[in-house]
Amino acid sequence: MTESSGTILIVEDDAPIRKFLRISLEAHGFRVLEARLGRDGLELCAEEHPDVVILDLGLPDMDGQEFIPEVRGWSSVPIIVLSVRSDETEKVTALDAGADDYVTKPFGISELMARIRTAQRNRKPSAETARIKAGPLEVDLTRHEVWLGGEPVHLSKKEYELLKLFINNPDRVLTHRQILRDVWGPTHVRDTHYLRVLIGHLRQRLGDIPSDPRYIITIQGVGYRFVREPETE
Amino acid sequence: MPETTTRTPYSTELPPVRPGLRAYLWAAFGVAGAMACAFLLHRFVPHANLSLVFLTGVLIIAAKWGLGPSLFAGVASFLAFNFFFTTPFYTFAVNHDGDVATLLLFLITAALTGQLAARMHDEIAKKQAGIRRITALYGFAKRMTAAPDANSVLKELIRHLYHFLESPVAVLLPDTEGKLKVSGGWPSLDGIPLPLDRLEAAWKVDASPPGCRGLSFLTLGTARGPVGLVAVQREPLTSEEEDQARALCDQAAIAIERTGLVTDLEEARLISETEQLRSALLSSVSHDLRTPLSSIIGSSSTLLEYSSKIAAGDQRDLLNNILGEAERLNRYIQNLLDMTRLGHGGLELRRDWVSVEDIVAAALKRMEGALAGFRVALAVDSDLPLLHVHGAFVEQALVNILDNAIRFSPENGPITIAASVAGEKLHIDMFDDGPGIPEAEREMVFDMFYSVTGSDRHPRGTGLGLAICRGLIGAHGGEVEAMPGADGHGTLMRITLPLAHTDES
Repeated sequence: MTESSGTILIVEDDAPIRKFLRISLEAHGFRVLEARLGRDGLELCAEEHPDVVILDLGLPDMDGQEFIPEVRGWSSVPIIVLSVRSDETEKVTALDAGADDYVTKPFGISELMARIRTAQRNRKPSAETARIKAGPLEVDLTRHEVWLGGEPVHLSKKEYELLKLFINNPDRVLTHRQILRDVWGPTHVRDTHYLRVLIGHLRQRLGDIPSDPRYIITIQGVGYRFVREPETE
Repeated sequence: MPETTTRTPYSTELPPVRPGLRAYLWAAFGVAGAMACAFLLHRFVPHANLSLVFLTGVLIIAAKWGLGPSLFAGVASFLAFNFFFTTPFYTFAVNHDGDVATLLLFLITAALTGQLAARMHDEIAKKQAGIRRITALYGFAKRMTAAPDANSVLKELIRHLYHFLESPVAVLLPDTEGKLKVSGGWPSLDGIPLPLDRLEAAWKVDASPPGCRGLSFLTLGTARGPVGLVAVQREPLTSEEEDQARALCDQAAIAIERTGLVTDLEEARLISETEQLRSALLSSVSHDLRTPLSSIIGSSSTLLEYSSKIAAGDQRDLLNNILGEAERLNRYIQNLLDMTRLGHGGLELRRDWVSVEDIVAAALKRMEGALAGFRVALAVDSDLPLLHVHGAFVEQALVNILDNAIRFSPENGPITIAASVAGEKLHIDMFDDGPGIPEAEREMVFDMFYSVTGSDRHPRGTGLGLAICRGLIGAHGGEVEAMPGADGHGTLMRITLPLAHTDES
């Protein structure tokens, strides 16, 4: 409980969950705001400008799915969704609506802490650094050049765009829809087969084995997560 | 055909096409009548005009009895007229050529009008028969549309065909293994000797019946293909009969198909309802088990990983958290078990004498952890009679409505439990200060999974608790109702238990 790591708003109706979240977050130096209802959460969010919002999807007064677009109307605060629903479509809906990440209940506290760190880091503007490193992978965004372990890698235009999207959103789940919209445009948000083919190509270029990828992790039924710091063998 | 003699849509009620002896007698009688009239009139009218009297008689007979009797009447009238009214009287000789001409014209007119009248008569008879047939067909069609199942369709078809063709009829349908079986017959189920083996073989090939001596076959077919065979013990059928019978069979086949669709639809609805219930159960169970598990896993992992950073008081809070949530989990599992037992009728009441205070105290004790942070008040009358109930069940019912009250109460809200006698019954009332239940939903909250249908708005809602509560109390002959709370605030959940059981034992 030394320096303040930031303010976190918990919107969750279940008191025991709020309690352990508060204790563990405070132990990490966060200031914690709690809201039991979605309405109160929205108010606190507007007044206190938290650094991260942890949102439960099942609220007594409103569905969490309604909460996200409401916040996104005026704030880009990272939102991490908590849900007992293991249903993929729920997660995709939340992510598409603008949530940054999700954690499925029940979860270990370290998992949530890791997500909070990622969310905070991603929010800090990357200052458009020209050269981004991710393990042995290096991308020069100004010169559109890619190296893997010092060797130049040649990518097609689409492959490069996809990699750029990933590297700008590291450690974050991107839904199929989000990727398709960014790389192919809004008319192709349903053409997931394009995406599967392109992912296959990109993995090949990055030396990823589809059955055990280092960089591009498949989240079944949801999308992909780009790992910025792959474990080195 | 004993019981169907009242409905004979196709039996021939038509007047005889070939008139019998009776018709000729009537004709003779008619001529005699005409003669009598002529005798009365012959003083007043010229005798040649008397032929008109006879002619009228012939016309009437022709219209009534057809050609034969009319010709007979024509000849008889001619002879009578000749005998009685032409000179010389009382002989068949004729003096005047004029009379001869009159007689000849008379005969020709009688023959012509008789024939015309007879033809008209036939036409009318045919038309009437046609109308009767159409009416019968219409009635048949109506009964076909109204028939609730394939069996009644077949029954109707068989009876109708029997009366139409006036021959024994049987219907053969393939069973589940595709083997042709007699599914109905009239006048008796196995009244027709059927070569089942040959039929079977022919059915398998192309569903067309083989030729059989003394039997005619019709196919019951829909757009989707043949569904069965109709056997008639008569051979051959006239082409008109066959067309008619085919039309009837087609109608019946459509009706059978329709009843099949209705059954399919009903089944599909049942399946989808079961599916819905199953998915509601699954989502409820997964939600209810995972929510407390989240707190348990979250709190314990916090303790494991960050205990050095957490103050002693907070550590204790986390441990309490784990304990309370584990108890909650246990309650859910108990609920699930109770529900299964309720669902299978395996609930066995082991009644014993218990005091209301004990039950209330036990329920409060079990909910101690969850009730912390609420203001609980008791208003249990001191001189309440003992209850003869299965104590654990009533306690569980109380726990379930307490759980419900906690879920919807504001933090630090009041929860009041009251018990009192009202006539032959005991009321256990629980007031909370929650948002209350809209009138329209007061019954629905007792439905299984009510709180989870649609969304899991009510985050800790089991969707089972109140349904189980009602089941448990219902098993004791009591009831549970939701009512508006005092002053219209919050909710009053009332358990009513009969005290009359005391007398029984």
